[in-house]
Amino acid sequence: MSEFAKEEELKKMLENKFGAGVSAVDIRRARRVWLEAAPEKLVEILKFMKAAGYNHISTITGFDEGENLGAFYHATDNHIMATIKVKTPLSSPKLPTITGIFPGAISYERELEDLFGIKIEGLAPGRRYPLSDDFPKDQYPLRKSWKTADFQAARKSASAKEAK
Amino acid sequence: MHTDSLLASAVYLIVFPGFIFLTAYGLFLQWVDRKLCAVMQNRVGPPWYQPTADFIKLLAKETIIPDACDTAIFKVLPYFAIAAVISALMLIPLWKTESLFAPFQGNMVVVVYLLTIPTVTFFLAGWSSASPYSTVGSMRVLTQLFAYEVPLMLSLIGPAILAGSWNLSEISVFFAGRPALMAAQLIGFLVAILALQGKLERMPFDIPHAKNEIVGGQFTEYSGRLLAYFNLAVDMELVVGAALLSAVFLGGAWGLYGAAGLALFLAKTLAVTFLLALLKVLMARLRIEQMVNFCWKILAPMAMAQILLDIVIKSRL
Amino acid sequence: MSKITIPLGPQHPALKEPENFMLVLEGEQIENATINLGYNHRGMEKAAEERTFIQNMYLLERVCGICSHSHTTCYVTNVEEAAKAEVPERALAIRVLVGELERVHSHLLWLGVAAYEIGFETLFMYTWRDREQVLDCLELLSGNRVHYSINTIGGVRRDITPEQKNEVLKRINFLEERTKYYIKVATEEPTVRARAANVGKLPYEVALERGAVGPTARASGVKRDVRKDAPYLLYDKLDFNLITHDSCDVFGRVVVRALELMESYKLIKQVLNYLPEGPLTVKVPPRIAPAEVVNLYEAPRGEDIHYLKTNGTDKPERLKVRAPTLANLQSVTYMLEGGWLADVPLVIAAIDPCMSCTDRAMVYDRKTDKTQVYDWEDLRRLGIEAYKRKGVDFSKF
Repeated sequence: MSEFAKEEELKKMLENKFGAGVSAVDIRRARRVWLEAAPEKLVEILKFMKAAGYNHISTITGFDEGENLGAFYHATDNHIMATIKVKTPLSSPKLPTITGIFPGAISYERELEDLFGIKIEGLAPGRRYPLSDDFPKDQYPLRKSWKTADFQAARKSASAKEAK
Repeated sequence: MHTDSLLASAVYLIVFPGFIFLTAYGLFLQWVDRKLCAVMQNRVGPPWYQPTADFIKLLAKETIIPDACDTAIFKVLPYFAIAAVISALMLIPLWKTESLFAPFQGNMVVVVYLLTIPTVTFFLAGWSSASPYSTVGSMRVLTQLFAYEVPLMLSLIGPAILAGSWNLSEISVFFAGRPALMAAQLIGFLVAILALQGKLERMPFDIPHAKNEIVGGQFTEYSGRLLAYFNLAVDMELVVGAALLSAVFLGGAWGLYGAAGLALFLAKTLAVTFLLALLKVLMARLRIEQMVNFCWKILAPMAMAQILLDIVIKSRL
Repeated sequence: MSKITIPLGPQHPALKEPENFMLVLEGEQIENATINLGYNHRGMEKAAEERTFIQNMYLLERVCGICSHSHTTCYVTNVEEAAKAEVPERALAIRVLVGELERVHSHLLWLGVAAYEIGFETLFMYTWRDREQVLDCLELLSGNRVHYSINTIGGVRRDITPEQKNEVLKRINFLEERTKYYIKVATEEPTVRARAANVGKLPYEVALERGAVGPTARASGVKRDVRKDAPYLLYDKLDFNLITHDSCDVFGRVVVRALELMESYKLIKQVLNYLPEGPLTVKVPPRIAPAEVVNLYEAPRGEDIHYLKTNGTDKPERLKVRAPTLANLQSVTYMLEGGWLADVPLVIAAIDPCMSCTDRAMVYDRKTDKTQVYDWEDLRRLGIEAYKRKGVDFSKF
């Protein structure tokens, strides 16, 4: 496995440092490391990785797996892309903010709040992004339960009512 | 006799070379300017009637007056600007050696100050519009006024000292007879051209209405007829500015009069317009503080050098 | 002097796309700047989940007009990786070629816009005239000037003939000469220097901190270019330099982009002379087994990242797109504060913002601010009716 030496090194480093905090560390191909982390360990892991050279968060991808919501944090040292998966229950979805370490991640976190309804704890207040101001505050379009057709039907009947 | 001169004055003011001629020639020079720029920028450019069409179109458009503004001032300013420009033209020798009105000592100074009035109306226009873009624009108008006015005045003083007169027609007569001395005014002429570019608020000094920054600048809230007249005032100012430079630096009518004098006048103003257009396409817009620095640290000392040179020449004459 | 708050956008002559900056001015200087986004949100990520992989390719091409090839290439690479397809090398070479032509067209466009924002209209006219050359190349190769649609899943749709190759080489040689001239103008013309140097400062540390990408980051000395760092397509076989500049200002961004143009010309020539023989596509099954992939692409504006999750059907489970502008926007507020109002358009333009890339996701279109919602069928009907009123009946076709 010498061709993945750097990837192995990252894996070993994370497993040694965080033990049970990280799981399922998987080298899927050259330059791609995937792992799962506990939400409470996320900030610590990213801080550690930033010190180790993974100083760029490419983006944060939210996901909806049914029971769990969550996010992938794509951290990179420009060569290796480490994707950290963090889950949070659908009943009360919340994740810690990472803007303390990566101030540039603020718009990615706002996206998580707006499109998935994941509460980001510690995120500075501000205007919502990316949805428009008059979009219903309790609807999260990227959740699987949210259907475009339902939304359009609701809007249509509302505007029909208004016309009357 | 009295009614005759009154009638003549009216014709001068309204028909030729006043309002009607100045409008036509101003619009024509605007076209020349736009066409020259277009050719230099590798574009096709507008047809000759475009400025006239723009003007007529604007006259027909609705004039919107913002609620928050000072209505009376807002409405009256464009006419003030036009009146000041026409008055300035009357004091400048055009197709003959004498100017049409008031050939007195010091009419050069009066012309320069009459030409300041449009700028002040631009400032008031922006200020009375009460919109953030116009406010910033009008602040820039004033800042810029203080920057270019001094080099412009200084550059005109040089020829006046050499000619020993503050009368525009006497200055032009003096230089028309002495081409070598006219050539010695090159630095002053350059300063005057650059300062005039600032006065006309053209690139690289179109800072007060830089569209990428503050939309329409001082004219943001203007529309319809009022905007048409403001645009017209700017075009007329181009003619008057070119006429002023031609009288001070290019020897005026060279003793010619009538049709030949008029042809010479048109040729000189066209030449000045060409220089102004060249400057416009060659440069990027400066920042306001760079503009002030440039005017005070480069243009003003250059104009002073010209004055010194003129004093030395005069002592040798 | 009292403070003035100036709204810059969503409609403003300096901005080609809707975004909003609230600027608090102290005289001519900016005390505070805030960005508001989301005016262009089109719901692409949600829409992608309801479309097949092939349909999504055309959807993603419309993420952005300028970097349409970047987004599809990134997406197609993801799909191919998930389906474990080996794409023929000739297809990869053609993708590189179109990608670099796209970079040339984007950087030339940017140079023109930057010149326009500082009021240098002549340079703007010149660069955009010459940009037509590269657009002609793209039209020649793909049939389209902007949405090239050259990619397909498993390869590319069109081959390159020797005549096309010669024509492109001819135009590229011409552009190389012109670009040398522009480099001269942009670096030596005094008013350009006066407006670009020491403007919109973004120090190295801040660029890293705020996650800047692409030429914006490289002009701050950050060596970040996906083509070098994690080569995709054929970039590991091609010879080119990573351009950085350490002046950390707009001038540096001009230099970086101008020199990158030269590198792109070099790449285009190499690829055209390399072009391995072979098929253009491989077959990829419409249904793709569950997999998760993430891929990067160096778009003209910077790093573009796509995440794709497949679930065994012919539609993606989740598709995430992050365009470079979103990563760069956090740096803009830093660059604006303390600067001059006159520099705002240039500083914003200097990251080469592309708002339609940045905002995606609204599922409907709205007219005016009424809650009138049009879906696709409505729009189609409205279009047909509008033409009927003009006397043309499209419903017959």
